[in-house]
Amino acid sequence: MNINKTENNNTVINISHLTKRFGDLVAVDNLDLRIFQGEVFGFLGPNGAGKTTTINMICGLSKPSGGEILFQNFSKQNNRNIRAQIGICPQENIFWPKLTCREQLHFIGRMYNLSTGLLKKRTTELLELMGLKEKSNVLANKLSGGMKRRLNICMALIHDPEILVLDEPEAGLDPQSRVLVRDFIKSLKHDKTIILTTHNMDEADRLSDRVAIIDHGKLLSLNTPSWLKKSIGEGDLVEIILETEKIQRADEMVNSLKELCKQVKFSENALIIKSKGLVGLIPGITEIITNHGNKVMEIRLRENTLEDVFIYLTGRKLR
Amino acid sequence: MKFLSVINKCTREQIRNFWILILTVSMAPFFVFIYYLILESSKPHYDLLILNQDNGIETMGATINYGDLLLQSAKEFENDTTGIPLSIRKSDDKQAALKRLRTQKSDALVIIPENFSKVIHNPDMVNDTINAEIEFIGDLTNISYMVSAIWANEILNQYMQGLTQENKPIIIKEISLGFSGNIDDFDLVVPGILILSIIMLMLSATVAIVTEVEQKTIIRLKLSEIGTFEFLSGVSIVQIIVGLVSVLLTGIVAYWLGFDFRGSFWSLLLIAVLTSISIIAFSLILAALTKTVSEVLIVGNFPLFLFMFFTGAAFPLEAKEIFTIAGYSVTLPGLMSPSHAIIALRKILILNMGLKDVVPEIIAVVLLTIIYFLIGIWAFKTRHMKVE
Repeated sequence: MNINKTENNNTVINISHLTKRFGDLVAVDNLDLRIFQGEVFGFLGPNGAGKTTTINMICGLSKPSGGEILFQNFSKQNNRNIRAQIGICPQENIFWPKLTCREQLHFIGRMYNLSTGLLKKRTTELLELMGLKEKSNVLANKLSGGMKRRLNICMALIHDPEILVLDEPEAGLDPQSRVLVRDFIKSLKHDKTIILTTHNMDEADRLSDRVAIIDHGKLLSLNTPSWLKKSIGEGDLVEIILETEKIQRADEMVNSLKELCKQVKFSENALIIKSKGLVGLIPGITEIITNHGNKVMEIRLRENTLEDVFIYLTGRKLR
Repeated sequence: MKFLSVINKCTREQIRNFWILILTVSMAPFFVFIYYLILESSKPHYDLLILNQDNGIETMGATINYGDLLLQSAKEFENDTTGIPLSIRKSDDKQAALKRLRTQKSDALVIIPENFSKVIHNPDMVNDTINAEIEFIGDLTNISYMVSAIWANEILNQYMQGLTQENKPIIIKEISLGFSGNIDDFDLVVPGILILSIIMLMLSATVAIVTEVEQKTIIRLKLSEIGTFEFLSGVSIVQIIVGLVSVLLTGIVAYWLGFDFRGSFWSLLLIAVLTSISIIAFSLILAALTKTVSEVLIVGNFPLFLFMFFTGAAFPLEAKEIFTIAGYSVTLPGLMSPSHAIIALRKILILNMGLKDVVPEIIAVVLLTIIYFLIGIWAFKTRHMKVE
């Protein structure tokens, strides 16, 4: 990996032409990204889109086949190893099952050369912040799923990294823990650069300053959540699920609908229509559908969400 | 500091994996006990029957039976000869005695004839036709008969010599090499089993390393600032301690069962530490080849089998020499470091030799350990610590 430190605006990670190949498979295809200091960067994509591969390359766990990743503008501890500036909370909980919560944090902190005093202070702080103080001396394998997840976040932060990579941080958490983790991530904003990968669009929308959507290793879109939502059309969104998967005269139907509302997307047995004043247009839309020999099973009318953007850009097809 | 933290972490994990620890350290002491039982039950023992048909003679108003005196002398021989694996029984019925021979309950039958006392008492009457014919009966193809017959002959000779008061023109004196005169089969296997207790480390050391790969904690270590060598050294130290505990327990059990430790304790300790390092170094190669604990248990059985049975650890092994270096024989099992350690321990513990007598073995163990370590660290780094 080409990792250099350069002085340049407030970009912390500058990814250019990043490519990763596994044999014939191109997992990451010529990816260009800039991640800014102190932002929460949402990294979205369907399974197999190349998110984890990109994160592994950022963390130094995988070598790019092409392109480069530049790290720059670290605010402190500039002499530390680049890897030591990154804290990762992987999707699956990684810890030593036969060590207690406190022992885990002490051990991993030592691996980052933390002094005894600082290590004790940070361990106590993190365990308290993550609601694990009472479990400090409990073996990790005796913790509940949610506690293990929170311990994993503590382990990512023990060495006070500049960049925090959170891979599905809320996966498997109960609502109370989810709120705790979400508030904790918010509290880290501005102090740390956070890369957040998640399938929870609500989580990404609430937490991220900017969101990148990738699929098949390519960047499809990158901007703020509100911009992305607007990008697929202002106004309301209606999602119409048709009764059968064998849609009659689909192209003809879509063209007719487009005469009524400009943004129509058809995928599988669902129509996603975006327009202002959609409520008044619904009778006309259903008439066109019926005239083409199809039956409406369900109509959902709502405001745009990040999930709509995601589905709009990546499609409904299962991966 | 990081090195010490790895030792601290591994020690805690090892103690908390209580059953693995117990099984690792108790395997070799258990082996010692099994060997003791096997060797004790298979120790040779010879059963000699004596049937006295001697009628005795009347002399000066009393009856003398030289056959009874011979029997008495045989019993004294049995009692006075320390550690002799011979039982002498008196038989009163020839048919019953022959039945014991046929059923292999006894190995040889000596029949003292009716005229035994008469001939002994009147040696002048002895000629080509008149003498006392002592019968030795047994299965001539059976080695137990031959050994029993030799002893019977010796008893008879001693008895006759006592009666005739003749001086022996020749005396045979046996001189044992070192302590070999006092060494039995159990003594011969103990040095090998002490090394076997260290060989048993192979799986536990590999599991200790591969667990990091399987539970993916190796990712945390790769991301941190610890080096491969520092991490592996920390893991190794804990395993060396486990190995020494295992050797100690094996030694205690062997001593309790009658093994007579000779030689210097420090020499034993040095060989044990070197062999532990060597086995752990080999474990690194095994750890590089595997990714899960179940893989270790399947793949690891093969080298464990080789190290157990082809180094002389499980039983004494005579290996064929391939070539010599400065007078030191190089054999195929010699590619496995424990084979040299076992030779060294036999010299120290049985023949009471000093450290300078085992220098070639120590050099061989050290050289092989360095080779294992270099291959192991390179392979482990390439397989598990490398950025893909």
